[in-house]
Amino acid sequence: MKENISALMDGELDERATPQILDALGRGGEAFDAWSTYHLIGDALRRSRLLSEGFAARVASELAREPTVLAPRALRPAPPRRWYALAASLAAVALVGWLAFAPQDPVRTPLAQAPLPPAAPAAVPLPSGTSDYLLAHQAFSPRVSLQGVAPYVRTVSEQAQEPRK
Amino acid sequence: MTTMVVAAVLALAAGAAQAQSPETLTWLRKIHEATQQLSYSGTFVYQNGKRTETSRITRFVDAGGDIEKLEVMDGVPREIVRTRDTVRCYLPESRVVKVERRTDRSFPALLPEKISALTRHYDITLGETRRIAGFDCQAVVLTPKDNLRYGYRLYADVGTGMLLRAVTTDESGESVEQFTFTQLSIGKVTRDMVRSRHAASAWRVEHADAQPARLAGWGLAADLPGFQKVTELKRRLGESRPVGQMVYSDGLAAVSVFIEPLQGREPVHTGLASMGAIHIYTREVANHVVTVVGEAPALSVQRFAHAVEYRRPQ
Repeated sequence: MKENISALMDGELDERATPQILDALGRGGEAFDAWSTYHLIGDALRRSRLLSEGFAARVASELAREPTVLAPRALRPAPPRRWYALAASLAAVALVGWLAFAPQDPVRTPLAQAPLPPAAPAAVPLPSGTSDYLLAHQAFSPRVSLQGVAPYVRTVSEQAQEPRK
Repeated sequence: MTTMVVAAVLALAAGAAQAQSPETLTWLRKIHEATQQLSYSGTFVYQNGKRTETSRITRFVDAGGDIEKLEVMDGVPREIVRTRDTVRCYLPESRVVKVERRTDRSFPALLPEKISALTRHYDITLGETRRIAGFDCQAVVLTPKDNLRYGYRLYADVGTGMLLRAVTTDESGESVEQFTFTQLSIGKVTRDMVRSRHAASAWRVEHADAQPARLAGWGLAADLPGFQKVTELKRRLGESRPVGQMVYSDGLAAVSVFIEPLQGREPVHTGLASMGAIHIYTREVANHVVTVVGEAPALSVQRFAHAVEYRRPQ
């Protein structure tokens, strides 16, 4: 379905499949959501100033009222955009929203290779909250497969070194 | 007598130094199976450097899953109860319970079918036999092929495969960390024995919910040989600080990279902290604190930390 919506936006959809998709869009729901999302993405990619939240809704309601008019095919059809694939990747990128703090400084040109670490690193005390890091890390240690919960003692061990409150 | 014959045969096998023989891998699988299938209760000593700590461990398995409980007997009292879905860490002195829910069921990460892949980074041989806490044990020795990982000596009960001792060794063969059972009884565990002794209803609960996520822009400028990314998530840490976590593993050792905003944090001390086999390297990258935590040699942890980079997503 999403593939067809994507194709419809690009004027690539088979004529016979079109009425069915338009019907689905007219009913709203998931198909309409996908349609709106793809338009938003399209606008974002084209750097439109006005993102088309209302636009998508207007078009959809127009479509619902009007008789089906198929857009003429472009002479040289553009390659399909795969809007649904873009949506997936944009959604993944959006997850980083929680970080909400993309670096402010201009990011230095990435080095082709990782910089070599200093030969002798400075010895520092255990960072605060070490046992939280250890607890979070431990769940992914394959050692747990061979020893069960025993390696979790490490998280506990460090706590004992902290002064009692 | 039988034991002696078995020991002699095993010694011969070890003497033949047939690294990665199917037999050595069978031993690893046996340990793995025992860990998943046995109910047991016992006392073990954890040792790293000068530190020695005694704990009780109890594991209960039935059709509904498995539950494990760990109680630390020395120093500050702690208790950890682990089920398939959750790890609860009870801290009676501060009246806090930390709850870690596991959203990704693909862990534990060492699956039986991955055991043979370990031979890419470790030579695996059979070592000596030895009696530990009343059990006749076979040593399985994992020697790393480079200096980016530790070696291991695993002593498993010949009868059940239960791991009685695990020693982590550095490149000179010295122990950096050790778990040894001093008493173990297999079976005879009831559901009640793995319940927490704490009601904890009035305690503060710290939820550390984690979900798979993509930390756009963050990654390593260079991979470390043998270490592959096994997961990437966003999570909460301690008193609900939002943190990104990427985990890398070679199948046996694991290294976590934690990424959190610098904002509102005390200044970062760049450098290396050590605790037995665990190393922690902290540094600042693109307005973030990067904390690398790994049960790997200092060199590896440090190299991970220095490879972490942020590239603005295109």
